[in-house]
Amino acid sequence: MPHSPHIARQAFLRGAIAILPLSLAVAPWGLLAGSMAIEANLSAWEGQGLSAIVFAGAAQLVAIGMLKGGANLASILLTTLLLTSQHLLYGLSMRPVLSNQPLRWRLGLGFLLTDEFFAMTSHYDQQQFNRWYALGVGLTFYVAWNLFTLAGIVLGQNIPHLDQLGLDFSIVATFVALIAPLVRNLATVVCVAVSLFCSVLFSAWHWETALVAAGLLGMSAGFVCQKCFGGRA
Amino acid sequence: MTWLLIFAMGAIVFLNRYAFLEPRLPLRLSSNARQFLGFAVPGMLTAICGPIIFMPDYHLNLSLLNPYLLGSVVAVALVLLTRSVLLSMLVSMLIFFLLRSWLA
Repeated sequence: MPHSPHIARQAFLRGAIAILPLSLAVAPWGLLAGSMAIEANLSAWEGQGLSAIVFAGAAQLVAIGMLKGGANLASILLTTLLLTSQHLLYGLSMRPVLSNQPLRWRLGLGFLLTDEFFAMTSHYDQQQFNRWYALGVGLTFYVAWNLFTLAGIVLGQNIPHLDQLGLDFSIVATFVALIAPLVRNLATVVCVAVSLFCSVLFSAWHWETALVAAGLLGMSAGFVCQKCFGGRA
Repeated sequence: MTWLLIFAMGAIVFLNRYAFLEPRLPLRLSSNARQFLGFAVPGMLTAICGPIIFMPDYHLNLSLLNPYLLGSVVAVALVLLTRSVLLSMLVSMLIFFLLRSWLA
């Protein structure tokens, strides 16, 4: 498929404009990721490095929280693996349009495959899919995420006692807002209830792997429930 | 240590994202594995929220006047009513901060 530079640039710009609202909505997250890294005594470079290299908001915030709580490397990595495993599904879903791209496009777009990227590009079939459009979506979001992280790092270094503002509630507010619309059937209700109960119980018992164990138990409970009563139960 | 963690996390996240984009990979997730992974977002995100809501300052707080709990209830109600993640996040944070200063 021949691509003139002009057409490629236009598609790139269309993608960049399409992702703008989500890029702005991610601002509190980015600010939090930056300021929490500073709060947890990471250096500015390490805080920015998380956003530049890992580029996964939930995993970053959880890793920072676990670091602060003194969790070990293995349990942070296991949590990262579990927490970002939905990306396997995104990859599988985008396999028809991305697996036949040249290696450098697969690597590049694969790196940029976030929840938001998936939301913006997953509905295109092989004929409609434009890799330049996808690159515009992914790169714009990447730049926005890193700029808001930088702003969070600067704020975290200059405003003392940011940790006493209750900024951790914004994790709850964001996750609750993301979870609540997903709770549409019995299996998900069971999953959330088991996970919530176990996470508090295991944390009260001071288990180092409380979050992973609670999450896995919740997922298993939801899965078993779905198997027993069917998806629409 | 921290940089090792950052690069290892980066590698894990990238492998998750890239794994099924690799054309030479013959593997496919079984239907069961996919259903199980479908619970990853509600299951894992809930587990992260639980201790923050019910154990502020690392002490169990089951009081109904816990501002984290009240703020979460407000966030659930708002997102179900408005369907806007950003709006419910901002409004519930505002209410949380008001409640925290009143109840403290």
